[in-house]
This record gives sequence, C-alpha cells and structure tokens, in this order.
Amino acid sequence: MSTTATTVSTQVEPIFNTKPRGLWGTALRRLFHRRSAIIGMIILGSLIFIAIFAPMLATHDPNQALIGLEDVKKREGPCIQLLGCAADQPQHFFGTDGNVRDLYSRVLYGARLSLMVGILSVGFAIVIGAFIGAVSAYAGGYTDNLLMGLMDIMLAFPSLILAIAIVTVLGPGLLNTLLAIGIVSIPVYARIMRSSVLAIKQQDYVLAGQSIGSSSNRILLQNILPNALTPLVVQGTLGIAVAILDAAALSFLGLGAQPPTPEWGSMIGQERNQVFTAPHLIIFPGIALILTVLGFNLLGDGLRDALDVRQRS
Amino acid sequence: MLAYILRRVVLAIPVLVGVLFLTFLLSRLIPGDPCRAMLGEKATPAVCDAFMERTGLNKPIPVQFAIYFGRVMSGDLGDSLRFGRPVTEMLMERLPVTIELAVLSLLVATTVGVILGVVAAYWQNSPIDAGTMVFANLGVSVPIFVLGLLAAYLFAVVLKDTPFSLPPSGRLQAGIIVKSIPEVWGMDDLGGPLRGLLDFLSQMYVINGILTLNWQVASDAGRHLILPVIVLATVPMSVIARMTRSSLLEVMNLDYMRTARAKGLNERRVVFGHAMRNALLPVVTIVGLSLGGLLSGAVLTETIFGLTGVGRTIFDAITSRDYAVIQGFTLIIAFTYVFINLLVDLSYAVLDPRIRLS
Repeated sequence: MSTTATTVSTQVEPIFNTKPRGLWGTALRRLFHRRSAIIGMIILGSLIFIAIFAPMLATHDPNQALIGLEDVKKREGPCIQLLGCAADQPQHFFGTDGNVRDLYSRVLYGARLSLMVGILSVGFAIVIGAFIGAVSAYAGGYTDNLLMGLMDIMLAFPSLILAIAIVTVLGPGLLNTLLAIGIVSIPVYARIMRSSVLAIKQQDYVLAGQSIGSSSNRILLQNILPNALTPLVVQGTLGIAVAILDAAALSFLGLGAQPPTPEWGSMIGQERNQVFTAPHLIIFPGIALILTVLGFNLLGDGLRDALDVRQRS
Repeated sequence: MLAYILRRVVLAIPVLVGVLFLTFLLSRLIPGDPCRAMLGEKATPAVCDAFMERTGLNKPIPVQFAIYFGRVMSGDLGDSLRFGRPVTEMLMERLPVTIELAVLSLLVATTVGVILGVVAAYWQNSPIDAGTMVFANLGVSVPIFVLGLLAAYLFAVVLKDTPFSLPPSGRLQAGIIVKSIPEVWGMDDLGGPLRGLLDFLSQMYVINGILTLNWQVASDAGRHLILPVIVLATVPMSVIARMTRSSLLEVMNLDYMRTARAKGLNERRVVFGHAMRNALLPVVTIVGLSLGGLLSGAVLTETIFGLTGVGRTIFDAITSRDYAVIQGFTLIIAFTYVFINLLVDLSYAVLDPRIRLS
C-alpha cells in the first residue's frame, strides 16, 4: 500500500511551475510592468543624479551674484546660444533672478534640498509614528486610548496650518520646517502601523511563534515588523510628495528655507510679485517642484498596486 | 440612528478639548517672555507685572488653561495686537471670505471630479481615461502657489485684452461699492443674531450681490473668484476624480451589475442607479477630508490673490507676530475641521446602514 502511495505522489504534476518569489520580488516585477511607475522612477532617478552631481552640472555658483562679473541684468530671461541667443551674450539656461544669480544653477542645487527635506521629514515621521503605533497596538488599553487620542487631536488640524503653528513656535528655518512637517506627519504612520500590527497579531504565524517560545521582541521584530512595513513604505513614498509640497509652501510663505538658500519654494516666494514681468522665475523652479512631486506620486501609486496582496497572481 | 449621532458627538468632545489645549500650549511655547512678545516696546517691568496679573500668566499652567478655556467658551479669543480689535470681530469679517471661496471650490471640485472619474471609469483604458488620469496625476502634484501664480500670469497678462482675461487679485473692481444686506433691506436698526447672520452673509460678496439684487457686485465678485476657485479646486478635484474612477471600477465588476444588465436595464440606470450609489461612499469621505486641504490651501490661495480671508490673516499674523490672532484663527479652523469630519461620519452612516448598526 505504502509503495503505491509513494509512486502516485511522485507522479503528481507540480501545481506551480514557476519558482516562488517573495513579496518584494513579486512587487518589483509588477512595478516594472507599470508604465506610470517606470516614469516615476525615471524622474526620481534623474533628480537623484542631478542632486548628487549638481556641482558638475551647474554652470555658476548658485549663490554668486553676477553683477560686475558678467554683462547681465537682473531678472533677465533665458539665453541659450543653441536656441538663437547671441553668441556674445553670457549664456544662462533659465535666465537670472532678482539678485542676478544664475537660475539654472540654483534650480539644480534646489533638488538636493527638496529631496533631503522630503526624505528626512518622512523618515523621522515613520520612525516615531511606527513606534507609537506599534506600542499602541501591542499595549492596548489606556496606553492605546491615550496615544491614539493624541494622534486624533493632531489630525484635527489641517496639516499645513499645524506646520505653520509649529514653525511659529520653533522659529523659521529649513531645519525647523523639516521638524514641523515631520511632526505633522506622525499620526498618519502611527495609525497605519497600529492597524497593521493589530491585524498581524491575529495571524496564525504569530501564534506559532509564541507557541514555540519565541520572545516578544523576536516576534515583534521578525514576524510583525516586516509584514507591517508594506503599507508604511507605500504611504511613506506618497508622504514624501506631500512633505515636499508642504516644505515648499512654508518656504514660499517665508517660514522655511531662508535666502539665499536655493530652495524652490523660497525662490518662488521671493519673486512672486515679479510673475507678471519675469514669469521664468516662477516657471522653472515650479516645473522642478511639479516633476519631483509627480515622481514620488507615480512611484507611490505604483508601489501600492504592486504590493497589493489581493492583486498578486 | 440617534444613538449613533450621540455617540459620535460625545467622541468629538475630547478631541475639541485637546485641540484647545494644543493651541493653548503653542502660544505658551513661543520663545521669550509673553509680555514682551505681546506688548513689544511698551513692555516696561511695571506694565509687564500688570499685564501678567491681568492675563493670569503668573498663575500655574493648569489654572491658566482653565482661564483660557473659560474665555474661549464665552466667545473671547483675545485682542489682536496689531489692529487692537477683538479677534472674534476679525473672524466675523474674514471667515465669510474663506467660506465662500472654500465652498465654491469644493462644489467645483466635486462636480468636475465626479464627472471626470465616471467618464474615465466607463471608458476604462481608452485615451479619454489615460488623459483624465494624466491630468489628475498632474493635479495632485502641482503646488497651489505655482498654479496660482501661473494662472494669474496667464489670465491677466497673456490673455489680456481678450474675453478670457480675468483679474489676478482683489475681490472687486475699484469703484464698486458694496452695501451690507441689512442696509439695503432697510433693516438698519435690526439687532441680535439675525443681524449677525446678515452681516456675516454681507461679507460674501456673491451672495450679497444676489440677495440685494445688485448684479454688478455679484458678477464682478464672481469674476474675481474664478481664478482662486480653480486654483484651490484643482487638488481636491484630482483626488476626487481618481477616487471616483477606482471605486466605480471596483463596483462595475460585481455580480449585481451583471444582474442589472442581464435583466435589461439601460446603461444609464445601471451606471447612475446601481453603480454610483455604492461607488460614491468612499467619494463622500474624500470630499469631507478635502476640506482640511482646502483650508491649508486657502492660506496660499488668499495670499496670492490678495483676498483677506482666514488664511491670509493667519499669514499676516505670523509675519507680524500677532499671537492672539494666530491662536484664535488656528483654533477656529481646527474646530471647523472637527465639525466637518463629524458631518462626514454622520453622512456616511446615512448612506450606509451597516455603519450605524455596527
């Protein structure tokens, strides 16, 4: 009897012919099948490239006023010799700003600041938020009520208004902007982490871990955290877009990066009254901002679809 | 249903107290001596002692919070340092401007957003769908202040002297005089809450123009609002379009849709009668949540288009360090936001019986 059973079982065709992939392997494959996600990655890849190699790509020092050094006036439009600008004129791809600085170089350097602010503030928010959420879900009871109540109070403020209030307390500046946006974003990640941990806590593999005697730390770090990470990564990517927008808005209002820092929002804010006479001062940093935010949004949407377990085939 | 409403209202109370505490805390955390911050150069030691005594700032923090709580409850938000006027008075004057802007923006965003979403979902994967989604993706990625400035440039400079030219700032053309509603209606000696309401509505120039049958005011105020409304509506419109599309697509594949078609209903009934009803639930949430974004966006929109609403006032208060105004206006915005979220929750329960029964 037993021999027949063995022969039968060896003859069974394997159900899955493909090699099994992990969650992230599948996700990555799916990500590369989505056109919008690829566009997002190309945009972000170029931005990172620009941010790293800004000193080599820039034609001028971003903070150097060119008055007296070159024959240019302030707020002059773009002059590209390839596109018909006179050869004896100094070349400025995006024109010059109100302090006779090269706008192209300033926009390039701006990529560093926006990427830094977006990634750092969201990173800060995720670390603190995930910690609060995990503690809240794991402890339950009063701790849970207290922490989530606090998060609800923060969510009662529109994000930019709360960020403005925090920057008012901390004082204007890029670092404080970063902190304010980080603080404002904490509740979102805390809530996501809490609901993920609550859901995962019920899973059989956590019970299995507990029954073989794994420590709480081990279960939290090895079983729960990796599985709770997926929604955080998706929200984080989309959150960077929001953080960059909010940081630029604060700088636009004069509360964020201070002049002469080449930050896109602050560049636009400083020249906003010149929009009718020198629109290039708004258009170029504006396009840079739009592309950056678009890049993170497209990648975030792509990641969400790619990591959606229900859609995995 | 009543039990559900009561439960939700009771749950909102601790959040409101927390919001009060947070705004209280923010004003206490502002670096430096509050007396010097509030009174500036007038702050001599004698004046400061009197000031601390009068405002209760020399008392322990919990007592201070109790005083602040009591004052806010009685409708006293302090006086603006810069204008020497009660903050509540300023709110009554400026809140209508923002409400008019936000409500119109939300209307535009919801109408256009839902239409775009339905169109994109119905012709899924067509060029129309792709175009709508590219537009929606760009819409959520454009900073409000960039869009605002470029729109102002386009409509006031590029399209100048064409029928499409639009004013880039202000609420009315110079020379147009607005009278308050009670004045026009001959109810000048009216008092009480009705007077307050009419004065409040008078500040919304479009409504004022309609109620007083002054078409010049209504149309000119409307023309001035077109650009701010488009700019402020773009983000929520894009979000609503995306949400409507994805939620409608999810519903369209369900069995009951096939049943509806199989029993011979025409497409309009299928889409609007059967699919939309279920697909709109998440959209309602998004519409409600958009209001937070609208209030944030109002700070930028009002600053760019020179509208003296709540957002612009907060911005001006920050640059002039007018703490009472920052505190009072932030508080009112947060209260409004909590109230609207409550309304969204309640409307959700009306639309979906499962929620109020659970």
